[in-house]
Amino acid sequence: ATTITISSLLGADKPETKIWFKVKEIVDAKLPGRFDFRIVQNAALGGEKEVAEGIRLGSIQASLSTVSAMSSWVPESQILDAPFVFRDAGHVRRVLEGQIGNELKTKFAAQNFIVPGYINYGARHLLAKEAITKPAQLAGKRIRVIQSPLHTELWKALGANPTPIPITETYNALQTGVVDMMDLTKSAYAGFKLYEVVPYLIETAHIWATGVVYFSAPFWKTLKSSEQEVLAAAALEGAHHFDALIVEDETASMAKAAAAGGKTVQPEDRPAWEAGARGVWAALGPKVGGVDKIEAIAKTA
Amino acid sequence: MDTSLETAAPIGASGRVAVTLDMIELALKWLGGAILAVTFVLVMTSVTLRYVFGSGLIWSEELAIWLNVLLVSVGAPLAVTGPLAMRLDVIVRFLPRTVQLAARVLADAIAIDASIILALGAAGVVGAIGGTSTVLGLPEWLRYAAVSIGGGLSVLLLFGRSYLQDGLPRALLVLAIGAGLYVAAHELQIASLATPSLAAGAVAAIGLIAGAPLPHTLLVGVSLAAPFGAMLPEPALVQNTIVGVSKFLLLAIPFFLLAGGLLTEGGLADRLVRFAASLVGHLRGGLAQTTLVSSVMFSGASGSSIANAAFGAKVMVPALVAHGYTLPRAAAVVAATAMLDNIIPPSIAFLILASATNLSVGSLLVGGFIAGGVLALALGVGIYITSRDEKPVREPASGRERARSFVESLPAIGLGIVVVVGIRFGVVTTTEASALAVAYALVVCLMLRTLNGRSLASAFCQAAGEAAAIGLLIGTAAPFAFLMAVDRVSDLVTTVVTALGGSALAVMLLANVVLLAAGLLLDIGAAILLLAPLLLPAATLAGIDPIQFGVILVVNLMIHGLTPPLGILVYVASGVSGARPAQVFREVVPLLIALLCALAVLCIFSALTAAPTKL
Ligand code: NA
Ligand code: NA
Repeated sequence: ATTITISSLLGADKPETKIWFKVKEIVDAKLPGRFDFRIVQNAALGGEKEVAEGIRLGSIQASLSTVSAMSSWVPESQILDAPFVFRDAGHVRRVLEGQIGNELKTKFAAQNFIVPGYINYGARHLLAKEAITKPAQLAGKRIRVIQSPLHTELWKALGANPTPIPITETYNALQTGVVDMMDLTKSAYAGFKLYEVVPYLIETAHIWATGVVYFSAPFWKTLKSSEQEVLAAAALEGAHHFDALIVEDETASMAKAAAAGGKTVQPEDRPAWEAGARGVWAALGPKVGGVDKIEAIAKTA
Repeated sequence: MDTSLETAAPIGASGRVAVTLDMIELALKWLGGAILAVTFVLVMTSVTLRYVFGSGLIWSEELAIWLNVLLVSVGAPLAVTGPLAMRLDVIVRFLPRTVQLAARVLADAIAIDASIILALGAAGVVGAIGGTSTVLGLPEWLRYAAVSIGGGLSVLLLFGRSYLQDGLPRALLVLAIGAGLYVAAHELQIASLATPSLAAGAVAAIGLIAGAPLPHTLLVGVSLAAPFGAMLPEPALVQNTIVGVSKFLLLAIPFFLLAGGLLTEGGLADRLVRFAASLVGHLRGGLAQTTLVSSVMFSGASGSSIANAAFGAKVMVPALVAHGYTLPRAAAVVAATAMLDNIIPPSIAFLILASATNLSVGSLLVGGFIAGGVLALALGVGIYITSRDEKPVREPASGRERARSFVESLPAIGLGIVVVVGIRFGVVTTTEASALAVAYALVVCLMLRTLNGRSLASAFCQAAGEAAAIGLLIGTAAPFAFLMAVDRVSDLVTTVVTALGGSALAVMLLANVVLLAAGLLLDIGAAILLLAPLLLPAATLAGIDPIQFGVILVVNLMIHGLTPPLGILVYVASGVSGARPAQVFREVVPLLIALLCALAVLCIFSALTAAPTKL
C-alpha cells in the first residue's frame, strides 16, 4: 500500500478531520488495500502554511487549506477573500463552479497543488462586547485580526484599530480588554468559547472563508490516471460532506453560544459597511486581475 | 579583543588556520549580538507605535521571525564547537580508552553529517519552496539561504577545529565518516518499518551516548530513519527544523536571557539578595533560606534557570561557604532553588511548551505562580529540616532595615512586575513583554550607571549565542516530533499511560513515570518538545486540566535539572563554584525529595479536581 500522509488541524470530531474519514471510506471501497491513509490530527504536522510547504517538499500528501494561506503561492486566490462581495454560501459556490474556480485550479496546479474541490468554512462575523451594528460604532475600538494585510486594511477602513494577536492568546486579550472585538466563523466562535468574552455576534458575513481540498503534485504524478480519478471524485464528495457538516456545526455552535448567554445581532446600514470595503477592493485589484473582476463577482447572481 | 591570541599563536599552517577560525567565530559572535540588537529595536518600535500612536507595523512580527532564523543560522556554527554544544559526555568517560576514542570520532562525524544536512537540505528548500511572504513581499527561500550558509560554516569550523586538535588524518577520517552517514541516509534501503521513528530514536540515542551535540544527534537520527521507511525528504526535514524556530513567541527566549544577563551585570540582582537576607536571614539555615528567597525574586524577572544557577553560584556560594556550609552543599542549595526560575513566570520552559502545544502562555503563567509557591515552600521546609547544624547568620532585621533594602531592590522587583503585568494584563504578546523587560533593565541600569558600552555589548552577544543554541535545539526537535506524529506514537503513549485504567489519577501517575524516565536522558527543552504533544491528549481525555498538566510536566522535567547523568543545574552550579558534580548530586538529594513531595501534591490536587471532558 502507498502511504498518504494527511494533515488535519483539528480533532476527530471536527469536519476538518471527518472529511478525510469519508475520503478514505470511498477510496478503500473502490481500491481496497491500495492506500494507507495516515490522518494526522490536531495540527501535529504544523499550521496551514507549513503544511502547504510540506506538500511541495514531499513530506505530506494531502490536506485542507483556506485560500488565504495559499495566497503566498497563488496571490490571485485572494479574490475569494474580498470583503462584502459574496452574499451567501450559494453565491460562493456558483462562483467557484464557474470560470473563476477553474482558472484558480490551474494556477494552484502550476504551483504543485492539485485541487479537486473547494470547501466552505462559513462566513466570518464580527464579535464584540456590545451590539455594534453600524461602522460608525467601530471608531477608536481595537479589533484582533489575523496577520494579513487584507484584514488589517478592512478594519482600518471601517475606522477600527487592528491588532494582530495569535489565536491562543486572543481569549485572554479580550478578557483583559487589550482588544474589544474580533472576527471569526461561528464554529470557531463556539469552539474557543469566545461567547464568554465577546457575547455579541454581529452577522456581518463580511468574508466567506473558502478553502481547498488538495494533494501534492509530485505524489499525484506517481498515480495511474484511474487512481487519480478515484481520489479526485472521493475528494469532491468529501468536500460536499464537509460543507454540510459545517452548516450543522454552525447551528450547534450558535445554540451552545445562546445557552451561555450569547446574542446574535443583525448589522444595519449595509451600504456603509460596503463603502468601507471598497478601498480594500481597490488595493486588492492589481493582485487578483483587476478591480473589475471583483465588481463583476459582486454583481453576478 | 584578546591580544594573547597573537603572542601565543602557533607557527605555520596550523597557526594561520587557528587565527582564521578564531576570526570567523568572533565575527559570528558579534553578528549574533547585532542581529539581536536589531530585533530588539524592531519589536520595541512596533510596540511603541501600536500603544503610543495606535498604529502597528504589519510586517514587524514576520521580520522579527526571519531575524530569529538568521540568529539561529549565525549561532549554529558556534553552538557546535563551543561550550554551548549540548554534549552528554558522562557515559563515554566510563568506557575503555579505545572505545572512548572511537566514540569521539563518531560524535564529531554526527555533527559533520548534521551540518551537511542543514547546508544541502536548506539549499534544496531554496529550490523548491516557492512563494512570497505576503506581509514582507520577500521570497520565502531567503530564510533558507541563511540556514544553508550557517550549515556550511559549521562543517568548516568542525573540520578546522578537528584538524587543530587531532591532526589532519583524524580530521579527514571524521569528515569521511560524516559524509558516509549522509550518503547512507540517501542511498540505503534496509527495511520498511511501521514506525521508522523507532530507528530515529535508536540512532539518536547512540549519538547521544557517544557524546555528539544533542541538536545534531536529533537531525541525524531523523535522516537515518529514511533507510527504515520514513518519508521525510531532506528538504522537508530542514523545512520542519526552520518552522520549529519560526515562531514569534520564541523570540521571548533571547530577550529573557538578555534581561537576566543585564540583571546580573547591572548589579540589580545583588540588591535582591540584600532584601532577601533582611527577610529570612535570621531563620535556621538563614543563609540557605536567603538563597531560596533571592532565587524566587530573581525568578520573577528572569526566565532561565541556568542564569539563576550561574548567578547563585557566583554570589551566594562564597557567602554560604564562609558561614560554614560545605562547598558541595552550598552548590546543591543553589542548584535546587534555581529550578524555580522556569516555574515562576517568566519561564523559557513554558514558552517552549506553549509553542509545542498551543497552550496559552497567559494561563500557564498563572499556573506557574501557584506551582512555584508550592515548590518554594517545599524547598523552605527541606532547607529548614536539613540545616540543623548551621547557626543563625544574623539578628532579625529591623523594620527600617527591611524597608530600606526593599526600596533598594525596587528597580529589580519592577522588572518582574513589568513582565508579569505585561503578559497578563497590559501588553499583547509575551514576546513584546520580554522586549519591554529588556528595555526596562537597560533604562534602569543606565540611570544607576552600572553598565558601560563594553558590558552592554557582551550581554547582547552572550544572550544571542545562548539563544541560538536553544533555538537550534527547538528546531531540530521538530522533524523528530513530525516523524512521531506520522507514526502515531501518541496512540502508543496513550495506551501506555492508560494501562492502569483511564482514571485521572492513574493517567497522572503513569505520565509522571514516563516523564521521570525520559527526563533522565533527555535535555529538558527536548523532552518538553517531544513528550508534551504525546502526553497532553491522553491527559485531556482523562479530564485533567491541560494547563495544570502542562505545569506539572514542566515541574517534573525541571526536577531533572538535579538528577544524574544530565542534571544541567548541578553542572552549572558546580562549574561556576568549583564544586565536584558527583558530590553535589549527593548533597542535593534531601532537596530533591522535598521537590518530589511537592510534585506529588500538585499531581494529586490536579487529579482530584479533574473533570471528564464532554465532547
Ligand atoms: Na522565571
Ligand atoms: Na534565572
